[in-house]
Amino acid sequence: MARVYVSTVVNARNDRVWARVRDFNGLPNWHPAIAESRIEGGEPSDKIGCVRDFRLRNGDRIREKLLGLSDYDMFCTYSILESPMGVENYVATLRLTPVTDGDQTFMEWTAEFDCAPERETELVNNIGGGVFQGGFDALKRVFGG
Amino acid sequence: MPHIVKSTILDAPTDAAWSVLRDFNGHDRWHPAVATSTIERAQSSDKIGCVRRFKLKDGSELREQLLALSDLEQSFSYCLLDTPVPMFNYVAHVRLLPVTDGDRTFWHWESRFTTRPEDKDRITHMVAEDIYQAGFEAIRRHLKEAA
Repeated sequence: MARVYVSTVVNARNDRVWARVRDFNGLPNWHPAIAESRIEGGEPSDKIGCVRDFRLRNGDRIREKLLGLSDYDMFCTYSILESPMGVENYVATLRLTPVTDGDQTFMEWTAEFDCAPERETELVNNIGGGVFQGGFDALKRVFGG
Repeated sequence: MPHIVKSTILDAPTDAAWSVLRDFNGHDRWHPAVATSTIERAQSSDKIGCVRRFKLKDGSELREQLLALSDLEQSFSYCLLDTPVPMFNYVAHVRLLPVTDGDRTFWHWESRFTTRPEDKDRITHMVAEDIYQAGFEAIRRHLKEAA
């Protein structure tokens, strides 16, 4: 099983950062790679089990299911239902933890998945260094970091 | 039950911070509040269950027991056995997580304990500031001097 771990520090209190990222349907509002998103079946985006259907700027379409969301612990866990990436059993978690020493937020974005062995390095780099870090970089531009 | 959570970012990789923090008997070399420390019964400081007996600069003596230590997670937990301060059931957890964006360290230090209501604020402030926050600053200096 392949693993991705990417983390960063953002110069804002965790409640401000959480307000930006907690909406499971809100990726286009903060992630530069995402063009548009909708929740299937007209469900609220914080209903556990809801499915987001979104499109990347490169045209790829991905469907992901919300598995867990906690306003108390500030994390969001989801799985991929459908994507052109060639991954199986993909589960990812975005987690925010306060840095008490200076009103910052420690952000972790992790994923686990199965894939063809020869594609593992490429996928880990693309997901971690590309998608996750790309999201972090956008948040750092908004909040500083 | 008071719950203390303090965290900071160190401008050093987790391995550098962990090499200092993992020694349960090493706090007298970096923490400004600790004068001397020994492990009882000549046990190794990474043996789970070992007890550190240490003196603070103010002369008070404390005993703490190592409950868990993980080089994989870069974390450890310990509890207080004896202290002149009226705090009970004190269990603390330290863990280091890598900040991959810049090869830094997120250091999380938290604890829970019970005490008399009239001592709660004073003791909470003492642990959070004089022990945890002062410890953060001390490790920052320690790592800078070592570099």
